[in-house]
Amino acid sequence: MTAIAPPVAAARPARARPDRRRQGWVRRAPLLPALVFTIIVTQLPFLLTLWYSLQSWSLVRPGSEHFVGFSNYADVFKDSQFRTTAVNTVIMTVGTVLIAMVIGVGLALVLDRKFLGRGVVRTLLITPFLVMPVAGALLWKTTMFDPTFGIVNFLLRPFGIGHFNWVGSFPLGSVMIEMIWQWTPFMMLLVLAGLQSQPKDILEAASTDGARPLQIFRELTLPHLRRYIELGIVLGAVYVVNEFDAVYMMTQGGPGISSANLPFYIYQRAFLGFQVGQAAAMGVVVVVATIIIATFALRLIFTSFSGTEQAA
Amino acid sequence: MAEVTYDSATCIYPGAERPAVDALQLAIKDGEFVVMVGPSGCGKTTALRMLAGLEEIDDGSIRIDGKDMVGVPSRDRDIAMVFQNYALYPSKTVGENMGFALKMQGVAKDERARRVREAAELLDLEPFLDRKPRNLSGGQRQRVAMGRAIVREPKVFCMDEPLSNLDAQLRVSTRTQIAELQRRLRVTTVYVTHDQVEAMTMGERVAVMRAGQLQQFASPTELYDRPTNVFVAGFIGSPAMNRFDATADTGGIHLGVATLRPADAQLRAAQGHSKLIVGVRPEHLAIGDGDGELTVKVALVEDLGSDSYIYGRLADDASSSVIVRSGREHPRHGDIVKVAVDTTHLHIFDADTGLRLGE
Repeated sequence: MTAIAPPVAAARPARARPDRRRQGWVRRAPLLPALVFTIIVTQLPFLLTLWYSLQSWSLVRPGSEHFVGFSNYADVFKDSQFRTTAVNTVIMTVGTVLIAMVIGVGLALVLDRKFLGRGVVRTLLITPFLVMPVAGALLWKTTMFDPTFGIVNFLLRPFGIGHFNWVGSFPLGSVMIEMIWQWTPFMMLLVLAGLQSQPKDILEAASTDGARPLQIFRELTLPHLRRYIELGIVLGAVYVVNEFDAVYMMTQGGPGISSANLPFYIYQRAFLGFQVGQAAAMGVVVVVATIIIATFALRLIFTSFSGTEQAA
Repeated sequence: MAEVTYDSATCIYPGAERPAVDALQLAIKDGEFVVMVGPSGCGKTTALRMLAGLEEIDDGSIRIDGKDMVGVPSRDRDIAMVFQNYALYPSKTVGENMGFALKMQGVAKDERARRVREAAELLDLEPFLDRKPRNLSGGQRQRVAMGRAIVREPKVFCMDEPLSNLDAQLRVSTRTQIAELQRRLRVTTVYVTHDQVEAMTMGERVAVMRAGQLQQFASPTELYDRPTNVFVAGFIGSPAMNRFDATADTGGIHLGVATLRPADAQLRAAQGHSKLIVGVRPEHLAIGDGDGELTVKVALVEDLGSDSYIYGRLADDASSSVIVRSGREHPRHGDIVKVAVDTTHLHIFDADTGLRLGE
């Protein structure tokens, strides 16, 4: 290849802008594979789902696919089971996240004090978060809640409770207890980080000002923890809304659909009922609803973090 | 208002080899402004925190108005503390910050607002009552911290280096404001600082501390004129007192080749101590017209406008540095000058024990 290099001086003024653009490309090019991968695994399936949601397609009848417009969506809003599972999802998410947060705050307050064996206690308290969700669910279904040899019944035997079937009697509650167990450490860690970032001299100032420990907590610590609590609630809710493992392992959504949440119901529709079109439409509805709620929730945390209250 | 007594009060931090505060003995009068001063790590802040109930009293006791404070939580001591970083409550407004202690006491809202407004007037804080601390300047935050203390009308004010985060100019003006405010309110005040100028200008009495032990507790003039040991002599006064190694016999005090003749009583007290340290303040040295006891080679001249300080070294002992206060006419760098010593203002210390000799 023969090429004559252009005179440097002549090229310089013209090259200033494209140079910067090329610099930008050089810097960002290494991110490109990740971007392409993300598009392939998230955006393409979403577009496919949108397409499926406009079709009537039953997996048991090959060749049944045909375009039906928005009738799947109309069915979703007419489906009373969809509404029940939506309510279940809300109960499950709100209940789990709030109860886990309350317990998490309590445990964080305990761990914020100095006592013998604090390191061991802290590690043990974090463990549930590290257990695989499926294993955790299985553990609760069998070891804890089993009517015959479960630990819960064993512990409650002195109180006259014999072979009580917890999962059968309170399916939604049982699943929620497992999820609370799993999510409390997460909340606890976030709140603990918040507690440890609170300047000690403020607490000392409050105690010289005559405040009792409970008053200090209500007047100063809780406002300080607000943004940590909000962050925990939003992050927790994002994950818990998508919970599938616990429902699948513990109750299969049953009896009936009494403990099913939306992810599980959609899974049932798609892979047990083989109604791909309907399941896809439900998925789209759920995603859109989640985006709307999450946008509000995220705006909440970002306002509380941008209004950072610097210690004076 | 109250008397405060430290009675052999001792604080030992877990794992520390020596006590942070070692058998501190102080009797502070009702309405007095006492400053604790010393280099960092001397235990002055710990001593204050013991009074505030933020540090354990491991031995001895601290009494407020005769009442023993050992084991009394800080909320029940009726003291107000001003912290070095102010420790304002970030989630509360200036007004809420100042009224917090009253709210904790269950004072009615109207009464609270009235007292907060009074204190705010006193400190020029009225325009800021609805602001959050983060929207205030350093000086304003400092005033809010002061306001939070005075609103309560406590028995004792504890102030832990409240001016150290202000710039130099603001520090000087706030210094006088605090001293004036205290004289007006007559609330017993314990004020901690590492700055000896603050200590001298603000305190009615000053406690000089070092390594957890009280060195001297006296009025600023007394500290300046009659320091009880070499440490206090060197710590109080700016620039520091000149200190020279010396020996004594019946003929006088020998300082290198020079001989000083102090008052007879002082000379008698000095005899019999093999090694001495002689202290002379810069203003008690004078550059003579050709005569004088010491020969000094000038190394640096600091001209302050009204007068000047000559920094130099003894001609016969280059390891001894000398600071002389001089007028506007002063020698130049490199000059060798004769310096006369005002022997009526000598401070003589035993070199081994560091204690003052003579009256």
